[in-house]
Amino acid sequence: MLFFKRGRVPGARSWELKTGLGKEYPKVLAQLDEALKDLDLEVKKVESQTLSDYKPGPDGEEEMRYFVRLKGTLTPKEARMTGWRIDNLAALAACMSLIVSKQGKSERKELEHIIGEKVGRWRALTLTDAFLRSGYLEEDEEGLMKIGWRTRAELDLESLMMLIAESKPKGAIVEEPVEVSESAEPLEVEGPAETVEAEFEDQASTEG
Amino acid sequence: MAEKTGKVSGRRELEELIQTCVSIENRQFNPFLLDISEALRIIRRHAGSWKTLGDNLLDMRAITSLARVVGLQSANLRFQSSSLFVDPGMVKQKVESMSREQLAGFLLLSWHPVVELEQLTEASTKEALDYWQKMLSFFERRKRLQPGPFDSPGAMDTPELARMRVLEEKAFGRRLEDLRREMKEQVGEEGRIDYWTFVRAKSFADTVLRAQMVSFLVSYGMAMLEKKREKMFLIPRDPPFSTGQGSPLSLPIPIPMEGVAPRAK
Repeated sequence: MLFFKRGRVPGARSWELKTGLGKEYPKVLAQLDEALKDLDLEVKKVESQTLSDYKPGPDGEEEMRYFVRLKGTLTPKEARMTGWRIDNLAALAACMSLIVSKQGKSERKELEHIIGEKVGRWRALTLTDAFLRSGYLEEDEEGLMKIGWRTRAELDLESLMMLIAESKPKGAIVEEPVEVSESAEPLEVEGPAETVEAEFEDQASTEG
Repeated sequence: MAEKTGKVSGRRELEELIQTCVSIENRQFNPFLLDISEALRIIRRHAGSWKTLGDNLLDMRAITSLARVVGLQSANLRFQSSSLFVDPGMVKQKVESMSREQLAGFLLLSWHPVVELEQLTEASTKEALDYWQKMLSFFERRKRLQPGPFDSPGAMDTPELARMRVLEEKAFGRRLEDLRREMKEQVGEEGRIDYWTFVRAKSFADTVLRAQMVSFLVSYGMAMLEKKREKMFLIPRDPPFSTGQGSPLSLPIPIPMEGVAPRAK
């Protein structure tokens, strides 16, 4: 139930798990979480208030959604397998840091501007749409962009904000700056937490 | 005169205040840029002079907008005290100064992708295969419905479509006008015609259709329905028509199937 995607959103709702596993489903999930540790996976619980498209359960109980996600993080080499380009990852990081710093909401124009600075205007437009479609971003009634369900499920925002706040300008870290091209040569990236070997290559985008 | 000028400037001040609050709500400005006590002073200064409903509504909108800004200030303070707080200006500056690779690296260090499996399971594949094998071919399933041989696609003209009642041959207004003229021709010198004499047609379906059209003529004031004891008469009217001339009463007229004999020619 947790692994297979049914419909648009993966994972399972609390009432679905309750129906399938019984009232004691949290215990079953705890056991599953323990078993998944060996595979570097974990069960992640996301509260309904952060998931705009989730409806309350049939018995009126507070709705939760459970996902299975990677416990650790991906190395740049592994990230290549997701099919994401370096542009996509950088744009998502920029987007999320700006939205979080503005307390969860930001104007679309502002987001497009900050992404556009890194990847160009046209790519910024398509990437913003792609983030909206995949659930990283959501648009509210006033047209403001806010954090989507996928961000809540997948991103450790505290860690991201910490990394960005502690970062030093490019020149101060990378002694020999590497020219970045769309064909993406192997790159050296250094973060405050650890050195990341970035070996991104241009790959087919998975937007949409 | 002074009072009027005061009201105009008061309205302008409130509208500007509301506009500022809306901009703050849309994250265009920091909520702390608005001096709440000054805003309240403006609202209070004009509160006594509002007399009309519009002015009072404006006053209410200003207070509500201000309350929302106070709410945002409170949320802002709570956010600033949380571990997620970083100044937006600083974030922008940092992001602008960082390379794409640095940003991507930071994201990877905070990213735990959700597992989403879309491939089929053995059981569901077996089920699907079983269903596919048991399913009859399209032509065999079609035979069961007995729809007859396939018709080759052809073209149809407007009269043909009208005959099939897919298209209306005439516009509704035109049909009403034709019926009114027909009524006028039939009334003769008497100026009226028996309802059933006029409505009755060759078939029951046509009679119902004529009765329906007549009901529109009466409602639109193009004809009058006169009831005298058991008999009903139709009196056509001449233009100009107005719906005001139409009958204000609703008169149900049952059309018995047996009672509708073919109209005498």
